[in-house]
Parts: sequence; structure tokens; C-alpha cells
Amino acid sequence: MRRRLLVLLVAAALATGCTPQPGGRIVYGLTLAPSGIDPHINASSELGIPLTSVYDTLVYQDPKTGEFVPGLAQQWEVSEDGKVYTFYLRRGVKFHDGTPFNAEAVRFNLERIVSPDLASQRARFMLGPYERTEVVDEYTVRIILREPFAPLLDSLSQVYLAMASPTAVQQWGSEYQLHQVGTGPFIFVEYVPGDHLLLRRNPNYAWGPPVYQHRTAQLEEVEFRFFTDPATRSPALESGAADVMGEIPPQDAARLQGSADFRIEAVAIPGVSLMLFMNTTRSPLDDINVRQALLFGTDRKAIISAVFRDTSPVACGPLAAATFGYNPMVCQFYQPYNPDQAAALLEEAGWKDTDGDGVRDKDGQPLVLDFYLMGWGYMPEVGQLIADQWARLGVRVQSQVVSYPEALEIAKEGRHHLMPFNLSGSDPDILRRFFHSQGGFNWSKVNDPEMDRWLEEGARVSDRNRRADLYAKVQDRVMESALIIPIRDYVNLNGVSNRVQGLRFDARGWFPWLIDVTLRR
Amino acid sequence: MFGYGLRRLLEAVLVLWLAATLAFGAMHLTPGDPAQTLLAASGASADEVARRRVQLGLDDPLPVQYVRYLADLARGDLGVSWLHGRSVRRMILEQLPATAELALAATLFGALVGVVLGLLAALYRGTWVDALLTGLAVLGLSTPVFWSGLLAILLFSLHLRWFPSAGSGGLPYLVLPTATLGFALAGSVARMVRAQVVEALRMPYVLAALARGIPPWRILLVHVLRPALGPAVAVVALQLGFLLSGAVVTESVFARQGLGRLAVQAILWRDLPVVRGVVLVGALAYLLTGLLADLIQVWLDPRLRQ
Repeated sequence: MRRRLLVLLVAAALATGCTPQPGGRIVYGLTLAPSGIDPHINASSELGIPLTSVYDTLVYQDPKTGEFVPGLAQQWEVSEDGKVYTFYLRRGVKFHDGTPFNAEAVRFNLERIVSPDLASQRARFMLGPYERTEVVDEYTVRIILREPFAPLLDSLSQVYLAMASPTAVQQWGSEYQLHQVGTGPFIFVEYVPGDHLLLRRNPNYAWGPPVYQHRTAQLEEVEFRFFTDPATRSPALESGAADVMGEIPPQDAARLQGSADFRIEAVAIPGVSLMLFMNTTRSPLDDINVRQALLFGTDRKAIISAVFRDTSPVACGPLAAATFGYNPMVCQFYQPYNPDQAAALLEEAGWKDTDGDGVRDKDGQPLVLDFYLMGWGYMPEVGQLIADQWARLGVRVQSQVVSYPEALEIAKEGRHHLMPFNLSGSDPDILRRFFHSQGGFNWSKVNDPEMDRWLEEGARVSDRNRRADLYAKVQDRVMESALIIPIRDYVNLNGVSNRVQGLRFDARGWFPWLIDVTLRR
Repeated sequence: MFGYGLRRLLEAVLVLWLAATLAFGAMHLTPGDPAQTLLAASGASADEVARRRVQLGLDDPLPVQYVRYLADLARGDLGVSWLHGRSVRRMILEQLPATAELALAATLFGALVGVVLGLLAALYRGTWVDALLTGLAVLGLSTPVFWSGLLAILLFSLHLRWFPSAGSGGLPYLVLPTATLGFALAGSVARMVRAQVVEALRMPYVLAALARGIPPWRILLVHVLRPALGPAVAVVALQLGFLLSGAVVTESVFARQGLGRLAVQAILWRDLPVVRGVVLVGALAYLLTGLLADLIQVWLDPRLRQ
């Protein structure tokens, strides 16, 4: 497979008369100023874009097959009860500062992550019911869990659980994030917060996972800059201030697509699709007929076309199609757009426009829904279109844009009728946060003991087929119960200069494998 | 003089205390639980969120938190960012130079351009020159920075390729952000200078000076402009708040580092230690600018020395 790809690449290079050559530098545009960049502490997904190339992880996930492949661990085995993971480590690996990588380094890193003093915002929780790490010998290490945790390998394949140099961590303390040291294909040179982050090629790198195509990095340097204002991203690309730029706005992407110097690489992001949670405990959404009416009465195709310029697929259910465990059968629900059926369902539920004001009512109460949304991710635009579509059904929407902390508060108190959200993640266990009765994002306020059991079992069993079955049932149940209105699967529109070749992304869809990037001259 | 200095110092301490207290109160009254905001997306359980709240000291009664905060502040300790996990003092010191550089450059640009435009408009008052310049001033005043910044990028970076659109490192990178932010400031300075000069030109002492045969350029620069500049300096000093909030947008449009972006992120994430730190620095900047403006005005206008 790899050879065939190589042949193709060579053929393509010959055809265009340009050969990719090692060396050179690119500027990579990030879209959020990250909230701190220590992968063990901070939660931002932006930090993973540069740091995935600074660090190695114990295992890697092949984005094509979803299988886990060796990284810093050459082999691993899982105990019968799913509570003990034994990793056999690769020998001869050195951190950029010369510190040898071994079992003690793994133990040091995992213990650092779970230490309460570190106050980890993400990595700690990715370890689930972690209990401790045991060093068996210099190159064998055991992770012991209190109970089985199926997403562990997925977690260990992410930069948040990457292996940092114990020497550097101890030397720099709370300033470690400005002086990071890993074992990866690029060396962390400097980070000026809010301004730029610079990586330089690690010439000694020789232990890359099989998913990497080159032994060492082809670029000499990669500089990252922060383009928080979406309107400035495509101008920055076109003026040469950046060579790669994430999250290009859809209207700019359409224009760049037609250019000779740039292309759009659209990457489907796995996780929870952009969806509207319907609060099933608040009238009138406690009536399933009303919720189903809203599903039938939402023209998702029109939204995708107007807001996203058809760059994203319509979402069918809670999981994006790019996620392991996605159940394509959910697409049978509430499709296609059917305002007549929506109207019939509302009539059946007793909502009629008796006073002729254009808004349905029942027992003297008008059909008005409180819709809280956040100002990012095109939620306000989506909300506006939905409000228009539902107005035609005789449903009035009161929209209000709120901040994320406020939204969390509103959801906790259940003051909303509707609230949108999306979250990326490659393991379907992410559904537990949204549809388990105790989940932190249970914004539908669902309490379904059977679904709770499926979600709990999904987090425990390691058999992939069994897990896929369980999550298929969860997705069916979510749609049958009309808990959400799925809108779109997230797609990251990367704007890329045609100088840049070989840009590929990991299984999360966000993190580039910079080792294989080359420049065409 | 000593009494005056002491009074200014006491005022400064009072202002800083008020700013600190306001920052404390405002963020505690804003809806949203910081611990939950930090951890919700990571799938932390309710227990784990509660533990983090204790760790951050948020479960203590508000007066206890307030006293602890003031005590830390008195020792010069701004705390550790809840979001970044780093010292707030270090984070602010990292971002301060970029913001100060932009604010200073924009002030100089705005003052210079504003004074020249205002003076010309006053001299040619009632003509098309006046109308044009006054129109420009109003345009500067009323164009939001995110819009003028984007237009500047499209014109000067994308089409003419004169200046880089983003980043830092040397004068070329400073030109567009300075001009964008300074243009807005120039508008208000120009209007103020025009009004002052028009008024001064009507004064009997100008006529007297003319009668004594003093050259018109000297009258203009020494007798008219100098007293007119006092109020303009006050205007510039009062625009600091605008400059700081404009800097937030400018930093974002031109992908620059700076305190503005730090502050916005801290507010969005309920990162209280950083919010308080930035507010204090802002208050300090106001005090220093106020002092500087007073000194300049006294130097410009001897009547204020009594």
C-alpha cells in the first residue's frame, strides 16, 4: 500500500515537473489562541496541532482502519478482566534532551497527569478509572485500572497522554509548557504565548509509528501563528502569511477551491455532531409528538447549503459518520424534511393556532420555545434559519446568545427548551457524557435506565464488535426518543498552499502528521 | 508640591483598590461556575468538578475569598491562572510589551494625524477642504476597528503587498495595526483640535499679534495651537479605554499577541486570577496616563500652574 502511494507520488511529481525536496519551513495557522499548551494540563484542541509532532504516544490509531498500532510501545496485552494493560516498550528511544525513554518515564508521566496538584483539565479524565502504574522492568510497564475502561487505548494514542521528558518536567515546573521536551519528529524550539510557536526537525528521530511515511521529518522548521478572527484567515493564506490554515469559513473555502495556488483539504472530524438538544422535561418538549414535529419541520439540507455552503454532510444522529461505532441506520429517522407531517403531529398534540396570530397555542399558552446558543461554530446562523423554518410551522423561537459558562449553568438548571452543542472525540464513549442520566452534557435531560446500561457496558467491554452493537442501540434510541435535532457533521476546512504536499491528519482529524509534509519548489 | 504628590498617591491607591474590588465582584456575580467551565467538556464527573471547586477555593464564603485576594494582592501575588496553570504576573508581563507598543504607536499616530487634520480643517473652515477632513474624521471615529483592519489587510497586504498582514517582528508588522487603531483615534483628536483652533483664531490676542507684525506661522504654532493642544491631550488620555478595547480587536485581526486577547480568553473561561490581574494593569495604565496628561497640560498651558 505504502509503495503504491510512493509510486503515485513520484508519478505526480514527475508529471508536474517538481520534485518534493527535504528542508524548508512553513507557517501553520491556528484558529484559537490555546488556553495553555501543556498537553497533560490543558484541554484545548489547538495545542495538539503543533504538539502531536513534538511527542510520541505509547500507541497510535490508524485513521484508515481504526486499529491501534505500535508507537513507543512495541506490543501490549490486556488482562482477561480488562483491568491490567501491559506495555512492552521500544528500546533506544531518547527525549530531545538526551534523557532515555523507559518504563520509569511512563510511570512518571502518568503519575504526573493524575496528581491533584497538576489540576489537569483533560488528560486526567481520559485515563478513566486509572489506579496506578507499575514498572515491571526497564522496558515493561503496567497500567492498572480500578475497573475495565475500553477507551484507554484511544486515550493513550492522543497527545494529551504523550510522553514528556521527566528531566525537563522536573527542571521547569509550572513553566514547563514553554520548554517542552518529547521524543517526537520535531523539537520544541520556543513558544511566545499569543504570538508564535516554533518547531525544528529532530534529526535523530528513528522510532516513528508505522502510520508515518518518513523516518525523519522532511521540513526543517514549522512556525505556528494564531488567527482567531475567521475573516482574516483566507487573506493571511493568500498574502503568504501562512501556508496552511485551519477552519477556513465556508464562503472563503468556496473561493479558494477555484484558485490555482491553494486548495481546500476538508477533514471530517469524528465525535458528536452539531445538534440541538431538546429538554424533554420542560413543557411542551416533554411531549414526544412536539419533538418529532420539530425534527420533521427542520430543513437541514437548507441549513447545510446556506450556512455551510454544502461543505458538511447533514448529520443523521448523535455521532458523526467519521466516528467508530457510527450507525448508518439512524438516517432512516425523520427524513426527508416534511413540514406537512410536522404540522399534523403538532395538531395531534393539540397545538392549533386558535387566535390566528400565526403562533400555535394550547390551553391559552402560545407555542414559544427558549433557544439558548453560543456565539461560535455558526450556531447563531443555524439558529436564525431554524427560527425562520419553525415560524412557518407556527412555532415561535426566542433566541438568546450566551457564553459557554452561562450555557452550562442554564443547562444544569434546565431553563432551556433547546440548546446546540458539538464536541469532537474519536471514541463513541463520548456519548456517555450526553445521553447517560448522570452525564455532564445531558442537556436533553434524558433518564433512560436501559440506555444508561448500554453506555456503561460500552465503556467496559473491550470487544470492538460488541461495543459497536451497544452504541448502535444507543444511537437508535436517541433518535426514536427524539432527544436531539442533528444538524451537521463537523468538517475542518483546511486551506493549504499548493507548495505544501503530503499533509495528513490523525484519527482525531485535527492533528496533522507534520513529519510527512514536504515543500514543492 | 509634597502635599500634591501625597494626594495623588492616595488617590491612586484608592482607585486600585476600587478596581480590584470591582473586578472581584463583577466576576463573582457573572453566571457560570469556573470549575464546571474548565472540566465539563472532558467528561469529569460531578464529584470531580466539586473537588476542583474546593481546590480553587471557590467553596469558601465570598468575604473569605475577598480578604484572601486582597492579602495576596498586597504581597504583590497575582496568583496562578486556572486555565493556563501559570503565574498570572508572568503571563501579563509577557503580553504587556506588545500591547504597550501598539497603544503607544497608535497614540502617536492618532495625535499627529489628528492635529494636522484638525489644524488644516480649522484654517480652511467652511471650504471643501474642511468638509473633506471633517468627513474623514467622522469616518475614523465611526468605523469599527475589525472592519477597517480587514480592509487594510485586503488592500495593503493582499493586493499591494506592502505590509505583512499578520505577526510581529519589526516595524513593517506594526504599520497596519498602528494605522488601523490610530486612524480611529485621529478622528476624535482632529475634531477637538479643529474646534479649539477655530475658537482661538477668534480671540482678540490673535488680532493683536497680527497687528504687531508677528509672522502668521508663528502665531499659528505658538499662540493658537499651543493652548488648543491642552484639551487635545486630555482627549487622547481619555481615549486610553478606547485604545485598550480597540487593541483587543486589533490584536485579533492582525494575529498579534497582547493583553487584550489574554483578557478576552480569561473572561470567556472565567479565569478569575487573570481577569483580576488584567483589570489591575488597566487601572494602573489609566492612573499613569492621567498623571502624564496632567503634566503635559501644565507644561503646555502656564495658567494651570497656579
